[in-house]
Amino acid sequence: MTKLWMGVLTAAALSASASGVAAAADTITVASWGGSYQEAQSKAFFKPTADALGITIKEDTTNGLDDVRLQVNGNAVKWDLVELGADECARGTKEGLFEKLDYEVIDATGIDPKLVHDDWVGITFYSVVLIYRTDVFGENGPKTWADFWNVEKFPGRRALGGAFATETLTVAAIADGVPLDQVYPLDIERALKSLEKVRDHVDAWWTSGAQAMQLIKDGEVDMASIWNGRASTLKAEGAPISYTYDQGVLNADCMVIPKGAKNKDVAMKALAMFLKPEIQANLPLYIANGPVNLKAFETGKIPADKVAEITSAPENAKKQVLMDPSFWADHMIEAQEEFDNLIQQ
Amino acid sequence: MTAQVADMGVLADRGALNSARLTQDARRESLTFLALCSPGLILVGLIIVLPIGWLFWLSFFDESGALSGANYARFFEQRSYVRTFITTFQVAFLVTGLTVLIGYPLSYMLSQISRRAAAICMIFVILPFWTSVLVRTYAWLVILQRKGLVNTWLMDLGVIDQPLPLAHNFTGVIIGMTHILLPFMVLPLYGSMKSIDTDYLRAGMNLGASPTATFWQIFFPLSLPGLAAGIIMVFVLCLGFFVTPALMGGGNVIMWAMRMEQTTSLYANWGAGSALGVVLLAVTLGLLALFHRLMGARATSVWGG
Amino acid sequence: MSAAQSALPISMRGITKRYGPVSVLADLDLDVAPGEFLTLLGPSGSGKTTLLMIIAGFVRANAGSVKVGGEEIITMPPHKRNIGMVFQNYALFPHMNVFQNIAFPLKQRRVGAKETATKVGRALELVQLSGLGDRRVDQLSGGQRQRVALARAIVFEPRIVLMDEPLSALDKSLREHMQIELRSLHRRLGMTTVYVTHDQREAITMSDRIAVMNNGRIEQLDRPEALYARPKTKFVASFIGESNFIPVECKDGAVWYDGQRLQTTSELPSAGQHWLVARPEKVRVAGGASNLNGANVLQAVVRDVVYQGDSFLCYAVLAGGEQIALRDYCRSDVLSLIPSAGAQIRLQIPAEDTTVVTER
Repeated sequence: MTKLWMGVLTAAALSASASGVAAAADTITVASWGGSYQEAQSKAFFKPTADALGITIKEDTTNGLDDVRLQVNGNAVKWDLVELGADECARGTKEGLFEKLDYEVIDATGIDPKLVHDDWVGITFYSVVLIYRTDVFGENGPKTWADFWNVEKFPGRRALGGAFATETLTVAAIADGVPLDQVYPLDIERALKSLEKVRDHVDAWWTSGAQAMQLIKDGEVDMASIWNGRASTLKAEGAPISYTYDQGVLNADCMVIPKGAKNKDVAMKALAMFLKPEIQANLPLYIANGPVNLKAFETGKIPADKVAEITSAPENAKKQVLMDPSFWADHMIEAQEEFDNLIQQ
Repeated sequence: MTAQVADMGVLADRGALNSARLTQDARRESLTFLALCSPGLILVGLIIVLPIGWLFWLSFFDESGALSGANYARFFEQRSYVRTFITTFQVAFLVTGLTVLIGYPLSYMLSQISRRAAAICMIFVILPFWTSVLVRTYAWLVILQRKGLVNTWLMDLGVIDQPLPLAHNFTGVIIGMTHILLPFMVLPLYGSMKSIDTDYLRAGMNLGASPTATFWQIFFPLSLPGLAAGIIMVFVLCLGFFVTPALMGGGNVIMWAMRMEQTTSLYANWGAGSALGVVLLAVTLGLLALFHRLMGARATSVWGG
Repeated sequence: MSAAQSALPISMRGITKRYGPVSVLADLDLDVAPGEFLTLLGPSGSGKTTLLMIIAGFVRANAGSVKVGGEEIITMPPHKRNIGMVFQNYALFPHMNVFQNIAFPLKQRRVGAKETATKVGRALELVQLSGLGDRRVDQLSGGQRQRVALARAIVFEPRIVLMDEPLSALDKSLREHMQIELRSLHRRLGMTTVYVTHDQREAITMSDRIAVMNNGRIEQLDRPEALYARPKTKFVASFIGESNFIPVECKDGAVWYDGQRLQTTSELPSAGQHWLVARPEKVRVAGGASNLNGANVLQAVVRDVVYQGDSFLCYAVLAGGEQIALRDYCRSDVLSLIPSAGAQIRLQIPAEDTTVVTER
């Protein structure tokens, strides 16, 4: 998630991997994004799974596809399960970095088929939402991406994600009036043209969730795109902000077993547990990210008042665009390069 | 005639006296010397030459592993790379210039006051050294942003009615980096200035040079080795800066190291990032060679090399 | 390079310098005649270098006046004083070659390139370094650096020249050679020169007059011969040359040692305990019956005799326990008189070779 720390953490991960000893058969290592997100995951997924299967789950943190690529290509795979962004999973597939998943072991019912693949499967949902400061706009701030693009009606400082072309281009397409159900397959040209219109009015292009949060929190910008987890944290802290899931970009994180993982079979069983509706339903108790298995909402474990806050709750999902990772697997590189050309003026 | 020959015979013998042993000793000495150097040489080879060579090698292969110039072609095809490259050198030149403008008078002052006072002032120069770059960069953010200390004070005082754009842009990056790199300019400058014998300055004035003339004709040239060291250090460090531009630039100032990180994570191919490293290395070496030519003539006469 | 007639006098009055409570120079007066070579001689801490720095303008006095040719310079900044100076470590600019170093003062005075070349050439010739103008300073030997420093100090025809222990970095033989050379250069150029050294031999060799300094005061200012022959204080006597000190009492217009009345042609100070000074080479061993008229004769026991080739040194102990040194050349007539250790001898000191000095 925080691509900013890629370099620093890669080094840390490498040194950790070098010192790793072969784990016992009933021990697996899971790498996720760290921070408060992984803490929530640990409580919601890892501990219950470890208890249920009688195994030990060791945790590590990753910076994404680079780390997996480094381990697989270097024949030094020390993780058994890794969480990645959905577009990274789609790209990793093309590079052949992952083990095939066994859907005899894993029950994928309740998961959007777009997120169920031969060698990767969705694990949680997050959204990109529009946030604005209520001390600047009251309750009548920009509610849609078209409002965000409308600099006359909503003067003020703006921030957009600068390192993630996939998300920002999706937002740009919505702002240009593409109906939510027609956003994908994305017209990249049109999205870029749309982005160009607002480019000169964007004061900051954030590259990490923490940075997006800080920009809004310190009043450095008046409106921004932001990940829903960060937005809910700001709200909980009492910051004068408002956001909804309207026109949000619903995006999934996924899990994979890196090719050559030492405890592939145990990892498969653990992954199957993570995806069970009862386990999935634990997640919203700790963080605003949503379960990928929609059957979690039928378990009754999630309190009714919480459901409205969850990004992937059916009511909220309807208002959003679901990002298509397979689309990006083919178009990511050109899109990112064109995006960089556009914003780095 | 015979006497002469005999003499020469003696001389020839004398010339050979112990010569085999002595030659052998000399050879053994140089071998020992080489053996003593070898840990260092091997280390340099392993951690510098080898990786750079590998970097260079990788940069010529594309994603499929075929030999190709694609990684370099990208540099010319995509505007953002050229832009980033220019930005990087703009920042490096500007920050180096500012650290000279701020660091030179500061070092001069430190070199002129008493050792005790200089030691105390030096602590304030070095103190930020002990704080992480990240912490210092965030501190600058707190000071410079729209609702930060500077803008709040200036607006309260009525100096400005709109906040100045000091953070999340080029200005912010320059301010943050200048602060972080200042000690790298001050330390070599101070060392070089402190070693200038005051008698040179006395001699200059005694010979009729005004204080200003003494400064420019004596003190300044003698401080050049320190200045050159400071400039090289700050400039090269600038080129590789990551954290400060990433945070202070607000995504509006992309420097080469950030570009490398982006490229490495975007392409399933180390060569893409390697090519950027090779280009930066080549241009940096070229600039340093140029700098050496410019400074060299004056600086070497001081170094006595 | 002007001749002696344009040389200027230096007149110092009431020079006072304190560092906090420590007094370095106390109300000092000194006059240097036009064209004179005057040496400030004294041990370290005597204030001689401070005085030189005050003349040059590198140290600010607390009070006093320094006039050169009648013009007050003590309030002038150093670069306007027009004084040539040779520094102890030469202070040749390392980033300039020999020519640039010597041309430096001319450049500051906006002298044209042609005239500069001529003047630098003449200065190099004067110090016998012609043709070395392109050399870097670090390619020169110690003696050559010394000459460059000298050339640089005189090339702009300064009003006066100051030298701060300029020969102290050279080895003995080169130092002696340079002493003679500096002296002859001074004779040729005739500029008023103030020279600082702690080497009394150097001072005696080179100076027209010597000011012996001690504790921030001038103990005695005199020609070298006079200083040697007629020191006024025990300090001067001990600092310049070797001396025998015999404790004496002055009373009733006469000098007494151990109940014996001594003859002296020296002026007598006020009554009290003083010292009679006699140089080792003036003391003789009194042979058999010969008893020179007016000479003092003292009984002594020989403690040691040191043979030094051309001369010998004899250490004898007086009745009162004081050691007396005696030096003579190894002439055949003297050699026969050299006593051996433990021998009883009579020392002969001519009255005209004695001086009575005060403790201070």
